[in-house]
Amino acid sequence: MRNHLLAAAVVLAHAAAAWAVPPANVVRAPGKHAEDTCTACHVALDDEHLRAPALLANGDIHHTQGITCAGCHGGDPASENAAVAMNPARGFVGKFSRRAIPEMCGSCHSDPTFMLRYAPNIPTDQLAQYRTSKHGLALAKGDTSVAVCSSCHGAHGVLQVNDARSPVYPTRVVDTCGRCHGDAALMTRYGIKGNEITEYKQSVHYAALVTKNDLSAPTCKSCHGAHGATPPGVSSVSNVCGTCHPTQRERFDLSPHKDAFAALQQPACESCHGNHAILHPTDGWIGVGEKQVCGNCHSVGDAGATAAFAIAGALERATAATAGAEGRVDRVKRAGMLMDDADVKLEDAHQSLVVAQVEIHTVNPTRVDEQTKAVLASTGAADTLAAKAEAEIRYRRTGLFISLGVIALAMVALIFKVRAMER
Amino acid sequence: MRILDKLWQALDERLDLAPVLEFATHKEVPQHRHSWAYYFGGLTLFFFFVQVATGILLLLYYRPTAEAAFESVQFIVTRVPFGWLIRSVHSWSANLMILAAFAHMFSVYLLGSYGKPRELTWWSGFVLLLLAMGFGFSGYLLPWNTLSFFATRVGTDMVSKVPLAGEWLLRFLRGGDDVTGATLTRFFGFHVAVLPMIMAALLGVHLALIQRQGMHIPEGLEEEARTRKPLRFIPSFVMREGVVWLAGLAALAALAAFFPWELGTKADPFASAPAGIKPEWYFLFMFETLKLLPAHVLGIEGELLGLAAFNLAGLVWFLVPVLDRGSSSGHRSRAFLLLGWLALAYIVSFTLLSFAGVFK
Repeated sequence: MRNHLLAAAVVLAHAAAAWAVPPANVVRAPGKHAEDTCTACHVALDDEHLRAPALLANGDIHHTQGITCAGCHGGDPASENAAVAMNPARGFVGKFSRRAIPEMCGSCHSDPTFMLRYAPNIPTDQLAQYRTSKHGLALAKGDTSVAVCSSCHGAHGVLQVNDARSPVYPTRVVDTCGRCHGDAALMTRYGIKGNEITEYKQSVHYAALVTKNDLSAPTCKSCHGAHGATPPGVSSVSNVCGTCHPTQRERFDLSPHKDAFAALQQPACESCHGNHAILHPTDGWIGVGEKQVCGNCHSVGDAGATAAFAIAGALERATAATAGAEGRVDRVKRAGMLMDDADVKLEDAHQSLVVAQVEIHTVNPTRVDEQTKAVLASTGAADTLAAKAEAEIRYRRTGLFISLGVIALAMVALIFKVRAMER
Repeated sequence: MRILDKLWQALDERLDLAPVLEFATHKEVPQHRHSWAYYFGGLTLFFFFVQVATGILLLLYYRPTAEAAFESVQFIVTRVPFGWLIRSVHSWSANLMILAAFAHMFSVYLLGSYGKPRELTWWSGFVLLLLAMGFGFSGYLLPWNTLSFFATRVGTDMVSKVPLAGEWLLRFLRGGDDVTGATLTRFFGFHVAVLPMIMAALLGVHLALIQRQGMHIPEGLEEEARTRKPLRFIPSFVMREGVVWLAGLAALAALAAFFPWELGTKADPFASAPAGIKPEWYFLFMFETLKLLPAHVLGIEGELLGLAAFNLAGLVWFLVPVLDRGSSSGHRSRAFLLLGWLALAYIVSFTLLSFAGVFK
């Protein structure tokens, strides 16, 4: 125990020397590429482990901002003598222990005055947040399997978060988390299933991220946090989802489910939508049958099932009416009629249908019905316009046939006249 | 009847119209196995009259600005009584007019009717066809929809290839560096004022020449024409032409009712060009040929070379009454006959292949 304490004291003493804000000889003015003897020597080394960091340093955000290797590792970056450059007396620390990494990164990243010189817009509370995270708490207890800064950001060759090559860029962060969280054997130790990444990749969120390249689509960190990574608690799930889906949350808060779920200690959104594998919801989910979400708690005959049937029926009527009107308007359009007015009505119907689908979260059939009635009113108007256009087409074709008849008669009359004259 | 007689008498006294009437009543049209070709010119004229009539009606509601053009055409086809018919007939008739003009031109060419003394008729007809294509090009932009906007951008861009004056011509056509509302306004001006004025004058000359010189009898058919009884222009030929015009009218009505001309979506100058922009069908053979040419041929830009070739071909076509020396004595050269068939085959095949999507 005493030896451990001694070792920790030595590490901390070095850390104090190395991690205080780097001295002037190890950092240059921001924006100027670092120059040091460390990379000059290390790129020529045979040992892959010692050469790789020097090769990566060139693109590293710290190096490009004038922070030399000594900024983290200490030592004298100006000396060409290895014994001097890597002298512990000059603050040199070789390879860091994983436990020391967050504090080392935080020595600059938690210092607002220092960070102001380089990146005034990035927050400086990452270390404080990290300490509250599941990772940080486990690390503090001596578990070095958990993620530290370098696990996600990389150790050497660190890129800015908004660089598409960075492992924490929105399109790449899922796989970065997945390096550990996709390892079921490792995750078992923490009571985590390890299938979260696979499930997430089936979700609408992941589809939006990779197929639409929508960088605002939620990734792991959007719900769990980045540095303070923690699973959202039962009571906070709706807050997390509600940051992007505020209307649904607001409607849910109006519903009897809010108090009922709270009493049952059941998460709000997740109970119906799931957590990681969030699929595109369909109207078919509403009901108490197989694969219908209301059936998780309700059964035929209770008030919830009755409301579900009422809501499902109203939505079904509205959807069928919309599809019918769309088909009819489309047929008329193909016949060459301009149907801009009907298109506006169909757009209104779609809007009301979307609002009706949002109103489902109130589980109040009356509120859903108000919207489905609006859908039916709009599709009715589109239908009327389509019927008018159909009548117009019939009128035009009748007119055409009559005119063609008149023209044909005139032609025949002329031909007879010509023949009679020329006889 | 007495009133009409008196009116005629009064006019005749003042204008000496008797010789005109005399000419008209005695005018004859020769008959032979190819006299069907004489009806194409009249058919073209019929479609031109339809264009004038429907064009004037469209003018009542059309507004030639980038902000209002599309909406005004939309208003015409949706709100104005029979507006859909007028607009659709105008668009279809424009295309049928060009088609009839092409048929007229090729029949005249292949029957060798361009030779002396009909050079002036050929030349005026050639310019009339160019004017008709000018009508088509300028009218295409007027509804200000996406396809017409981008096709006009591509079409006017070709003008910039003209050596020396290209840039100036481009700016003159567009009224600026790009196709804008200024282009629309001047295209409208060309379409409803400049081109109709020139067309009317030249059409008058073309028709007067035909009346003055009478119908040409193709080489080798003189004997047949002599043995067959000619048609009296009034009333026989006029009534037969009337049947053709009625057939043209029936075709127009059917096309307008069954295939209303599409309006598309309003042009958005800031949008990227949609895929598959094509000019009107009668420019397709040139359009597809230019696309097929390599970027550079012997160090010269391929497109420039293609345009130069088309201009040269147009010049040869125009000068054919002079170049085909035998045509003045009624003995046209076989080489020019072959050239005519080749030109027809090339235009027809490229246009059809383009419609079939072969050049994608």
